[in-house]
Amino acid sequence: MAVRMGLCSLDHLHAMSYLACLTEVLDIDLVGIWDEDKELREATAQRFGTQACASLQDLLDRDLDGVIVCSANARHREHVEAAASHTPHILCEKPIATSAADGQAMLDICRETGTKLQIAFPVRFAPAVAEAKRMLDANRLGRVYSAACTNQGFNPGRWFVDREQSGGGAVIDHTVHVVDLLRWFWDTEVVEVYAEIGYSFFRPNLVIDDAGLLSFRLANGVYGTLDTSWSRPEGHHSWGNVILELVGSEGVLSVDAFRPHLDVTAGTPRRSHWLPWGRTPDHGLIDDFADMIRTGREPSISGHDGLQALRVALATYESAQTGQPVALDHG
Amino acid sequence: MHRVGIVGAGSISRIHAAAWARLPVKLAGWHDVVPEAAVAAAERWGGRAFDSLEDLLAASDIVDVCTNVTAHPEPVLAAAHAGKAIVCEKPLARTVAQCEEILAVCTERQVPLFVAHVVRFFPEFEAARRTVQAGTIGKPGMIRTVRAGGFPRMGGGAAARRYADFEQSGGVIMDVGIHDIDFHRWCMGEVERVFARGLLEAGVPQCDHALLVLRFESGAIGHIEASWAHTPGRTRTHLEIAGDQGLVAWDSRDPASLSWRTRADDMPMAQNALQEADHPYFAELAHFLDCLDKGREFRVTPHDALMAVKVSQAALRSIRTGQPVAIADFRE
Repeated sequence: MAVRMGLCSLDHLHAMSYLACLTEVLDIDLVGIWDEDKELREATAQRFGTQACASLQDLLDRDLDGVIVCSANARHREHVEAAASHTPHILCEKPIATSAADGQAMLDICRETGTKLQIAFPVRFAPAVAEAKRMLDANRLGRVYSAACTNQGFNPGRWFVDREQSGGGAVIDHTVHVVDLLRWFWDTEVVEVYAEIGYSFFRPNLVIDDAGLLSFRLANGVYGTLDTSWSRPEGHHSWGNVILELVGSEGVLSVDAFRPHLDVTAGTPRRSHWLPWGRTPDHGLIDDFADMIRTGREPSISGHDGLQALRVALATYESAQTGQPVALDHG
Repeated sequence: MHRVGIVGAGSISRIHAAAWARLPVKLAGWHDVVPEAAVAAAERWGGRAFDSLEDLLAASDIVDVCTNVTAHPEPVLAAAHAGKAIVCEKPLARTVAQCEEILAVCTERQVPLFVAHVVRFFPEFEAARRTVQAGTIGKPGMIRTVRAGGFPRMGGGAAARRYADFEQSGGVIMDVGIHDIDFHRWCMGEVERVFARGLLEAGVPQCDHALLVLRFESGAIGHIEASWAHTPGRTRTHLEIAGDQGLVAWDSRDPASLSWRTRADDMPMAQNALQEADHPYFAELAHFLDCLDKGREFRVTPHDALMAVKVSQAALRSIRTGQPVAIADFRE
C-alpha cells in the first residue's frame, strides 16, 4: 500500500526539494499540498502532479498517513497542533519552533494524540555524515577532543529575516543542524555555550543576526565551535556547507557533508557552481520518514531531538546578550 | 521470486553477489570451470555449486555471466538458447563477430540481455549526462574522460596473466577504455571515426596505456585516456563535457566528502561516501530487475554493448595502422 503523504505550506525553501523527493521515492502517494498563497499552491501542485487544497483542513481531511510541515518557524506549533488530531505521522521542518514553550507544547499534543513527530534534520542522511557516525561508533578516533564545525550559508531573505516569523536569523537557522549531529554522534547534550553574534555583517539594513560563532561544550567532554553565518555571497559556487573537523587521541576526521559535486558553469549570466551528485540528504530523510510510517517504528529523529537543538540556539542568543557562557540544564 | 545463477566465481562475481544479496532475488548458485571456486563462492554467498553449466541454467531464471571476456559467449549463448534472462559483464565479447552472434541469438529467442556497463550507473557520470540532456551546457562539443590505474592484479596470478595476455583481455582499451567509449556514446551519440595511439605493440610487460581521439556523427569530438600504466591504488577518473552554453566537470582528485588520518592507518585516507541505493553495482542490477519486471528497455541495450566492442576494436586497429578508422564500415 502506498503511503499517503501531504505537505503543509511552501514557506520553507526545503518544501520544493521535499516535493521532488516525494515524487521519486517509490510507494508514496503525494495526495495534496496546501499553502496560504493560492497562486503558488496551484502552480506547485500542477508542477508536481498533485492536488492544491483550498485550506489546511481540506488537506488534513484527506486521510493522510503523514504530513510534512514546512511553514515559517513561528507557525510550526499552530500547524502541528492542527495536524496532530488528524494525521498519525508528522515531519516538521527545523527549528521545531521559535520558543522552547512552543516546542514543548508540540511534544505534548503529539503525546496526547499518539502522533509520531519527526524533525527534519536531513544532514544525518548525508552519506559522509552517516559514515562518520559509523567510524566514531567503531572508536576510530579514540577519545575525541574537539569538533570545529561550520554550517555557513546564504541569506535566504523573505520571512527568514523577520524575527516575528523566524525567531531569529543565522543563529537559529543554522545552529540546530550541527547540534543535532553532535548530539546524535555521541548520544550527548550541549551543556554550555558561549557565542559572539553579528548583525547586518553581510547585508545592509538587516535588523536580524546574520553572523554567529558558538563555542560549546558537550556532556561527554568534547568542546567545539560552530559558525552559523549567512556569509556566502551571491554568486558563490555553493549555497553553503556543513563541515565538521574532529580531533581525537587516535586520529583526525574531516566531514564535508555536501561533497562530492560536479563543477557546472552555465546560466545567464554565466557562473560556476557546484552540483552535488548522488541521492540528496533530503531524499534520505523522506525515505526514512516513509519507512517509519510503513514499519510502525519510532521516529529516528524525535520531537525531543528538535527541542534540545532549539534550546541550544536560544542559549546562544542569551549568551550573546549577556556576554557570558550559558549553562544548559538537562535535568 | 527470480532465481539467479552466477557463472564465473572470480573477483567481479563477488561484487555482483553482494548486490544481488540486497535485491529481491534468490541466489540459485554458482558454476565455474574451477569447481572449488564455485564451492567456495557458494559457501560465502549462498546457493549451490553446480558442476555443469546445464544444471545451473536449469535451476535459474536469470543467468549472470561474470567469467573473463573470452569465456562470455559460451554461457551467454547457452543461457539464450535456454530462454533465460541474461546479465553479462562488460565487454559483451572479445570480438565484434561474437557480439553479433550473441545479439542474433538473443533476438531470435527473445531473451533479455543486459550488459553491465556500470559507468552509466556511477552517480557522478549519470549526473553529468543528465546535465547534458537537460540542455544546461547547450550543444555539447568536446568530451574528455580519464580512467587511470595500475595494472590489474586482483585475483592473483591467473587473472593477472589473463590481463597481460592481449588475446585474452584485449588490453587496456577493451578492459578500461570501453567504459569511456560507452559513456561517450551515451552522452554524444554514435561515433563516426576513431584515431588512437598507445602501448599496444610497445612490448612493455604488465603495462598498457592508450589515448583515443573520437569524432562523433554529431560533429562533436571526444578524448579518452585509458591507463594501466599509472601507479597502483584507486583509479583516477576525470570528466568534462563542454558545450556552447557551458561546461560540466568532475575529477576524482577533488577533495572527498570524508577524509581522515588515524594512528592505526598512518596514512591519509579519503572517500566519497554514497547512500546505499547509489552504489553503482547495486544500481545497475536493481535497474536490470526493474526493467525485467516491467518489460522496459535496459539503459544499456545489446546494440550499445556491440558498438562499445566495435569502437574498441577500431581503436586497436588504428594503433596498429596509424590511420583513423571509420566505425560504420569497420570489419575485423
